[in-house]
Amino acid sequence: MKFTTFSAFVGPSVVMMLLFIAFPLISVFVQSFQVTQPLYEAVEVETCTPGFLTQTCVIETRNQPVLGEDGKIVTETRWVGLQSYANVLELGRAWDAVSAGSWRALMAIDFWKALRFTLSFTLLTLPAVIALGLALAVAINNAGKRLRGPVIFVSLLPFIITPVIGALSINWLFRGDGILTALMERASGQDISMFAQAWTIEVLMMLYRVWHVAPFAAIVFYAGLQTVSSDSLESALIDGASRWQRMKYIVIPHLMPLILFVGMIHLMDSYRVFEEVVGFSSQGHVISLQWLTYDFLQPDQAGNRSISRASASAMLTMVGIVILLIPPLKRSWRDHRKAH
Amino acid sequence: MAEIQLRNLQKRWGDFVGVEGFDLTIADREFLVLLGPSGCGKTTTMRMIAGLEEVSGGEIRIGDRVVNDLEPKDRDVSMVFQSYALYPNMTVYENIRFPLKVRGVDPASHDEKVMRAADMVELREFLHRRPAELSGGQRQRVALARAIVRQPNVFLMDEPLSNLDAKLRVSTRAQIKNLTHDLKVTTIYVTHDQIEAMTLADRVVVMRKGKVQQVGTPTEIYDRPANAFVASFIGSPAMNLIDGQVAEGTFTADGTAISGLDLPDGPLTLGFRAEDARLAEFATQAEITAPIYTIELLGDAVMISVRIGGALVSVKADKSFRAEIGTPVSIHVPARICHPFDADTGERV
Repeated sequence: MKFTTFSAFVGPSVVMMLLFIAFPLISVFVQSFQVTQPLYEAVEVETCTPGFLTQTCVIETRNQPVLGEDGKIVTETRWVGLQSYANVLELGRAWDAVSAGSWRALMAIDFWKALRFTLSFTLLTLPAVIALGLALAVAINNAGKRLRGPVIFVSLLPFIITPVIGALSINWLFRGDGILTALMERASGQDISMFAQAWTIEVLMMLYRVWHVAPFAAIVFYAGLQTVSSDSLESALIDGASRWQRMKYIVIPHLMPLILFVGMIHLMDSYRVFEEVVGFSSQGHVISLQWLTYDFLQPDQAGNRSISRASASAMLTMVGIVILLIPPLKRSWRDHRKAH
Repeated sequence: MAEIQLRNLQKRWGDFVGVEGFDLTIADREFLVLLGPSGCGKTTTMRMIAGLEEVSGGEIRIGDRVVNDLEPKDRDVSMVFQSYALYPNMTVYENIRFPLKVRGVDPASHDEKVMRAADMVELREFLHRRPAELSGGQRQRVALARAIVRQPNVFLMDEPLSNLDAKLRVSTRAQIKNLTHDLKVTTIYVTHDQIEAMTLADRVVVMRKGKVQQVGTPTEIYDRPANAFVASFIGSPAMNLIDGQVAEGTFTADGTAISGLDLPDGPLTLGFRAEDARLAEFATQAEITAPIYTIELLGDAVMISVRIGGALVSVKADKSFRAEIGTPVSIHVPARICHPFDADTGERV
């Protein structure tokens, strides 16, 4: 292909990517090392009482934002290096908590609390999504021809639903005396409140995520199942392999590249968990890293947003994703090398 | 010991008949070849024996057990597929070992058994490779080793040579023959290649459209085909078949008059083999006289073809024979080399 043709095709998307991905990313990266604050000045203000006989005057020193000529608050941007990261990580407090052996103290620090939840959310939902996706795919594959369409449709439904709405509907099923909580209370004869403690909320959030994402995995795996060699399966049947052994030795190795693919997508997605925190209003008990970033961006009473800390937290989230992706990437690279 | 008995075996898919009324007893240690064109039901029959295809009617016995409702793994058969059907993620060693592993054979004996099977097909130096790193012939040998490693009672082979190139096919064919002779296992071998059938088989079953046409040793099938279909399917070139009329012991067709036949008057299809007929020295000896349609050099012989009616009739001549296309030739076809078939049903008369 000629370079001009090539660039005509690729150009627009390169521009878009630079504009909407690369530039914001660099901007966030730079801002995580800077702090932008309003400039304050100390002003001496003399206040006098309206005196008839004697007038009492008090002089006090007050800090107030400097106003520019246009009447707006003047801000100042300072290079603070890793200060924002330190503010987010609170390493001093974290170290104290660790050396005191107090898990509770460590979990009182927002970042570590969010990291704990985000990691457990990601690593617990990952195998569940892959296992359920695989089970669904096998079920679809084994369904009769006439049933297959409806089964695919029904199993795709959770994936189609808007995440926040889906989370909300699960929330309402369990919140207070929601239908399912009521059912569980009747079955167990105990008072159950699913939103009174962190772990039940976490379980609900994970169940929701698995329910929501498994159809995607299932469709990918179902496509993969169509390419399993039927001769190999029949050969294994004659060789004496049970259903489970055929799955283990033939189907799963065949689907391995797809399992890695789904796993990587899921790692990236669930490490940025956010909708569940909103949908289950869990921020009182558990928060995620993405929520932490969002929380930093909320204006405080003076209307200031902690952009620097938010940027630092966003960068830390990205670093976390990259670390999580290293093992699957290494493995798929190895498989790729082996195949060629 | 595994004698296989098929009793009135049938396979139907709705209205479509795959295999119909298959009756056969395959002796222990026999090498049986199922031969026929594609769609004749030979592979279906084998798959029913393997248990990969459900039986619509009739009975399959292996040894003294009826196996109709047994799982494939419980039938003590092993199978070699046309596509090799190897497990791509496993090494050659693991592939061969697989049947032992999934059947829970004592792990201590695996190594020895795998090595013995690998030695039989000369694969020892490739044990650590994966199937993708092997040639077609090597892959087929892995499939063979995997089939023999657990010493089953019955071997099933579904066109195992079809994916190999011509030269490799000949050497692998020889290897299969030698292997089954050594192992003394009942073998059923499916092919559409009549040369494989002739070279390998103790007995051949010729099939067409789900029905058995003839069962016999290669010699019987070659020398005395039961009908015109078998005659036209076996041999290279296939048997010459001429449609004509018999009157007072003489068969006549376009440029053809063969006398001395002990047959009733009426229409007839007459067959003879190219290598049985020969060119006549004198025109007076000739039963067939026609211009040469084509002449092919085979190396050891020259194949001359003429057209009789719509059919091409071939005859083998000495390798030094040369002539121009269009020159008339005289062909000597004595009555004793002729195979008479019913003009309507194709059955041998």
